[in-house]
Amino acid sequence: MGQTSSFFIIPGKFDPAGLSDALRGLTPVFEAPTAARPFDLLDCHDQSLRAQGQLLIASGGTLRLLRGQGDVAVQRCKGKGTFVQDMPDGPVRSALVGFPKLRALMSIGSGKVETANFAVLDDLQKTQVRGSVLSLTANDGQVALVTVHPMRGYDRSYQSVCSTFESMADGNGGIEAVFHSLFSDATPYNAKPEVKLGMQEPSIEVAADIIRTFLVVARQNEAGVIADIDTEFLHDYRVSLRRVRSVLSLFKGVFSPEQTDVLKREFSDLMAPTGRVRDLDVYLLEKDIYFNLIPANLHQGVEAMFAQFAKERTRALAGLSRRFRSAAYDQKMNDLFALFADTKGLEPGPKADRGAYDYACALIWKRYRKVCKLARGITPDTPDQVVHDLRIDCKKLRYLMEFFAPLFDKSDFKKLIKPLKKLQDNLGLFNDYSVQQEALFEFVATQSNSQGQANAQLAMSVGGLIAVLDQRQKAERDRVIANFQHFDSPDIQHLFRTLFHHKED
Amino acid sequence: MKIIACYSNKGGVGKTATSVNLAYAYARAGSTVLLCDLDPQGASGFYFRVKPSKKLTDARFFEDVARFTKSIRASDFEGLDVLPANLTFRDFDVFLSRMRNKRSRLKKALVTAGSDYDVIILDCPPNFSTLSENIFKAADQILVPVIPTTLSERTLEQLVSFFEKQKLPKKKIKAFFSMVQRRKTLHLETMEKMRKAYKKRFLNSEIPFAADIERMGQNRAPVSIYAGRSAASAAYQALFDELENGVVSTK
Repeated sequence: MGQTSSFFIIPGKFDPAGLSDALRGLTPVFEAPTAARPFDLLDCHDQSLRAQGQLLIASGGTLRLLRGQGDVAVQRCKGKGTFVQDMPDGPVRSALVGFPKLRALMSIGSGKVETANFAVLDDLQKTQVRGSVLSLTANDGQVALVTVHPMRGYDRSYQSVCSTFESMADGNGGIEAVFHSLFSDATPYNAKPEVKLGMQEPSIEVAADIIRTFLVVARQNEAGVIADIDTEFLHDYRVSLRRVRSVLSLFKGVFSPEQTDVLKREFSDLMAPTGRVRDLDVYLLEKDIYFNLIPANLHQGVEAMFAQFAKERTRALAGLSRRFRSAAYDQKMNDLFALFADTKGLEPGPKADRGAYDYACALIWKRYRKVCKLARGITPDTPDQVVHDLRIDCKKLRYLMEFFAPLFDKSDFKKLIKPLKKLQDNLGLFNDYSVQQEALFEFVATQSNSQGQANAQLAMSVGGLIAVLDQRQKAERDRVIANFQHFDSPDIQHLFRTLFHHKED
Repeated sequence: MKIIACYSNKGGVGKTATSVNLAYAYARAGSTVLLCDLDPQGASGFYFRVKPSKKLTDARFFEDVARFTKSIRASDFEGLDVLPANLTFRDFDVFLSRMRNKRSRLKKALVTAGSDYDVIILDCPPNFSTLSENIFKAADQILVPVIPTTLSERTLEQLVSFFEKQKLPKKKIKAFFSMVQRRKTLHLETMEKMRKAYKKRFLNSEIPFAADIERMGQNRAPVSIYAGRSAASAAYQALFDELENGVVSTK
């Protein structure tokens, strides 16, 4: 009672004899293990639980969450394919409170599990320590997860049992040991891997490195889109391709104009079929928000609209999955990957050999000045189109800074990115509200007859939504000037100048 | 929190066996229980295989909260802890009142240690002393095993008259017949006589004289662990039910 248990990870096959030999005056007694049952190790695609040193094991309808120092939460619940916020209340759900809302739990690996309880007895056969061993077996190997429970008044025995297990774990006791022992292939997915760059690396190699990296990231998301695990797979897929496309358009003169045009078209063709599914994903994710924007008596029309969206998404996703599974698509992606594997197949443009650092400074400085020029001219009377342009330029600036970040000081970049991100979030919302209004107009148009008449319920609801969205868009727009002024502070200006604009050039 | 004292001023009446089996019955019913072994000759600790602590003979023991909580041992059964002892208890009344007082350091220490017990069972030494007086005052119920013999009759008489003299509430006294041998006419006659004489003092449940109970010493566990279907095990369960829920077994 009272004290918390300890938890050990012991790689390899667990040998009970190892415990008996190490304990003096105490005898461990193991129960016969339960029959082996299948288990899944759950996490989301980017393995955020693993990153926090947590293990979530699903077996026989029970979830078991293991955290650092013997902290084990158990809850009866199905885990695979669910979002944490949709789980029934329970200890595991409460422990997972910080889990990404948009990510579903998926199986990272599976195998068989056996459980055996044990008791450590003294010379009077009195139990002084209890514990349990979860033996996990997968294709790559075995690992034992040992939990030791203290019993009141028997601290010394508890300590000696714990130190025995600690020496059996042999310093490899971290959560990572479980992955190494069981699923050595399960490398953590990173949506934004850092691309290693050299200061003098020719620009064409930099471009190829970045494009290759994000092609890999894009491909890591295909299976998740097909399985429809969560909407982040398609989102990450699109972001990766967008990064590739921004390299093609921002790294001017690195590839020949002809090849640049061809590549731009190819990547645009890859991106195009994903757009509608993503749009529908976004609408469906924001369903609750939409309902909260308008009074309950207008909900009926929105309900009908979302039913329509859900139906269309199913159809659109089926098409996209078919495409991802096709041999032609696979061939296309393999060809692109081979093209960027090295610079042999690439046609250099006039700037191809320029050193990475020089080139980065020039590109970022130029884009920064463009952002400033555009933003400083924005007044309450400026047309919306200029604000949209500012959003695009900010995005380009951000991409450039992220691509070349490895060449600069981390903390300097952080200072610059923070106010830029705030401005971008603001501009992003401004854009979202505007795009949503257009989409709603379009939706009503498709639902109208040839005389332009639509169902009254639907029209009223959509009209209500558009009115609210328009208000919100205006409010976001009003914030743009203030957010830019924050980004345009003398400190930030100075830092941009010091980092990227060298007078002697 | 409820304090149940298992008391008799006569030795060898089945007091320790009752404490141990009752403590187990409470724990099995879901209560958190602390069994305090207050009898220097008693063996509550022994029955749970808990070794007596050598260092607990200090009278100031109960003032030292840290030492007290550290001396508690978990039994092998969920929710049942044992305070093994060879104690002298000058300050026992202080201890008991502190156990009740939510704001006392002792109580707080127990709560922090995760052991805010629902039930405390005291296995008392067989004599009249300051300690017994304190126990009579502090306990909610005083469970008195009585062997249906002439000698036991006298000891119960002494106890009841002690309560009258000290103006203690007699209601607390819950006597029950222990080590009953129904084939002995003397036992049956004595029981009938005593139930008449002490109408309100006796529980209906009785514990038989049984080899299964004597075997506790060999098995070092509550009866229902090694003889779950025995009459003895059923009798202790019936005693618990009657004590806790006022349910009287019809058997």
